[in-house]
Amino acid sequence: MSERGEILVEVRDLCKNFGVTVALNHVNMEIKRGEIRGLIGENGSGKSTVTTIIAGIQQATSGEITYKGKPWKPATSLEAIHAGIGIIVQEMGTIPNITVAENMFLGDYDQFRAGPFINKAKMIAKANEALRNLGIDDIEAGRITGSYNMEQRKLIEIAKTMAHDPKMFVVDETTTALSEKGREILYRLMRKAADDNKAVVFISHDLDEIMEQCDTLTVLRDGDIIGSLEKEEYEPNRIKQMMIGRDVQGDYYRSDMDGYEEEVVLKVENLTTMTDLMCFDIELHKGEILGIGGLSECGMHTLGRALYGLEDILTGQVTLTKTNTDIKSPEIAFQHGMGYVSKNRDQESLVMNGTIGVNIQSTGYKANRGLGIFISGKKEREYAELQVDSLAIKCNSIFQPVSAMSGGNKQKVVFGKWLAADADVLILDCPTRGVDIGVKASMYKLINDMKKNGKSVVLISEELPELCGMSDRLIIMKEGKISGEFYRQDGFDNTELIDCMI
Amino acid sequence: MSNSSSAAVSERSPRLTLADRVDMIKNNRYFPIVFPLAMLAFLLLLFVALTGGEFMKRSVILGIFNQSFITGTMATAVAFIYSTGNVDFSVGNAMGLACVLGAMAYQATGSMAVMVVVTLAGGVVLMMFNCTLCVTCHVKPAMVAIVAMSIYSAICVVLVGAAPIGVEYETSKALEGGFRYGSFLLYFGMCLLLYHGTAIGRKLRFIGGNEKCAIQTGINAVKTQYISFLFAGVGVGLAGVYQTIRTANVASTVGTGMGTDVMLATVLGGMSIFGGTKSNCFAGLIGAITVTILNKGLLMIGVSSTMIQGIRGVVFLLLVYLNSERQKTLPSRQQF
Repeated sequence: MSERGEILVEVRDLCKNFGVTVALNHVNMEIKRGEIRGLIGENGSGKSTVTTIIAGIQQATSGEITYKGKPWKPATSLEAIHAGIGIIVQEMGTIPNITVAENMFLGDYDQFRAGPFINKAKMIAKANEALRNLGIDDIEAGRITGSYNMEQRKLIEIAKTMAHDPKMFVVDETTTALSEKGREILYRLMRKAADDNKAVVFISHDLDEIMEQCDTLTVLRDGDIIGSLEKEEYEPNRIKQMMIGRDVQGDYYRSDMDGYEEEVVLKVENLTTMTDLMCFDIELHKGEILGIGGLSECGMHTLGRALYGLEDILTGQVTLTKTNTDIKSPEIAFQHGMGYVSKNRDQESLVMNGTIGVNIQSTGYKANRGLGIFISGKKEREYAELQVDSLAIKCNSIFQPVSAMSGGNKQKVVFGKWLAADADVLILDCPTRGVDIGVKASMYKLINDMKKNGKSVVLISEELPELCGMSDRLIIMKEGKISGEFYRQDGFDNTELIDCMI
Repeated sequence: MSNSSSAAVSERSPRLTLADRVDMIKNNRYFPIVFPLAMLAFLLLLFVALTGGEFMKRSVILGIFNQSFITGTMATAVAFIYSTGNVDFSVGNAMGLACVLGAMAYQATGSMAVMVVVTLAGGVVLMMFNCTLCVTCHVKPAMVAIVAMSIYSAICVVLVGAAPIGVEYETSKALEGGFRYGSFLLYFGMCLLLYHGTAIGRKLRFIGGNEKCAIQTGINAVKTQYISFLFAGVGVGLAGVYQTIRTANVASTVGTGMGTDVMLATVLGGMSIFGGTKSNCFAGLIGAITVTILNKGLLMIGVSSTMIQGIRGVVFLLLVYLNSERQKTLPSRQQF
């Protein structure tokens, strides 16, 4: 019988490079039975890399892993699952157009084989049983996965991993996609697994969550392990300092109470879109940071898109008051000094194969003209280099492709693009999602600087602390309508805000 | 945490594998210029050696030159379309139909000037039709190309019939001189300037890189793609004129197979047929010379024309394989 505290997985001298980028630099780590191990670190610190190697999703460049005392080198994630190592990945890990049951037993249909056919009824029954065992009762295994929302799909993934009864499982930044209820289910599973003498590795950006849930904590930075802390040694500022490598102040939001001007720059009247929004009215003022919050399905993301002309509008209009321009398309919005940062950074805000330069320069085709319609190479280079320098984007040159960069650095490139464009009205949809503390702090400073320069910012976010910390005015949405409006000078009250959301 | 135990692993950064090194070379920003020229030089030297110097004879070089003009013009033209990720391989047949229309216009009017104008206009109109299907009607470009190929070649056969349509020989040969050089330099120069000097090429590449992102950056994707097909149309028409005056007649099979030659020229020129931010508009011209040298050289060393088709297929596959980016890391983070 395995003992509590026995080493289940041992990682020795693990290295991983992607081309010249070093993702893991001789990492050593032990994962013990009966513990919930937290992994924390900035974007690109190597948390996901080390766990995905253990779980067979990718292979290491060099180094050894032992599992249950034997050398461990899984070729695929399926091999790892069968050997008892499961992972819940941060990306979407379900296929939308097949059933929930098919997703849960993906690549593993042989157990339901009846001659040349698959016994689907049996598969669905087993999947349903697995879901119910976890306390998930609103998901039906026979239905198509795509008909469930993001959170439910994440729960399906969790059930998928747990259905194989793993000896060790990794939860990789999963909780950002989960509501309170989903999180409770996940925390309970983690705790139960640890009690059953299994091992859990928990990756999160949320310091409070990780301190609450984990027995021990390992901090990574730039592919190196910085150190480990036991529960009694937890102290937020110390952990932050380990993550970033320098002292950070506890509070990184804006501290001033400056107001905004009377002048309305953007006006939404009676806006109804194909989805979500119904007769919506809103005004944005000069020098204002307008926070928009709510549950993720409340329509705030649609509002952000509609403000920038990206949604089909049924009635009503979005108007830039200064020039009285009707924002009907992103082209018009862009030409009139608006900018938009999508919440789907990699899919919508960046050309991944493109270089840093190409991405930043995309807003400056007009500004960088030299002679007539011809673009000046010098101006264009300076346009990008200015942003790389002022945002401290980590790179060798502007000719480096963004695909190899970490999340936080990529987001800096996106910000750089709009800062270079000198946009007057910026719509930011979850600008700090998946971004580490260091980059977050610089984003907040940038947003505040924009405000001070008389720019207007719409900050759409699912994180209340961020909204409260940054907004001049905070609008809470619920089911496509405004359910509450709050002002910075009155102070924001968390319970009041949450009441408006639900 | 245990310490590292063996001395072999004490160096700080892990060693690069061969694949990593190849990757670094491929990602070098001068690679797209150096690679096609190296390919060109290699093939030229190879065939000179294999034919014992025969390859450098005036008639051979002239033949390569004349054919490269047509393929090169087309390849320069399609670079505009390929940059956005639209793979249109019906351009050969579009050129063919433009030739046929031009030749018929000559038959009707007896004027070579009218022939030139109608061929050019034909190229533009046909490419605009392709564009409308792709961009406005949202049919997949490859689908459009397949359909357009068969429609255009069918029309050619119906219009021309068994006997080729002849145009005036004397004027054709005269046009092959100053007009051909002048118009080509004008067209290529204009393409080069507009593609690399202005926002047009950058927008096309950006759309090819990520259309959603391009739209969110205020680029009108529909308008920009129409512009790309317009430029391509002019090139296709011009290539049609060169084709017609080269032989002074137009057969029903004119332009068949040119579509694949143009694709091959593009990849041999070092550009991806899937477009994106590494696209350029000069790759096709270099590639066109390379592909013509390949065709001619294989023929001269006694490879049968059916075999040549096969060899070209293999070369094409190999280059597309080397050119396509496969994901080495985890799929990019899908935000909810």
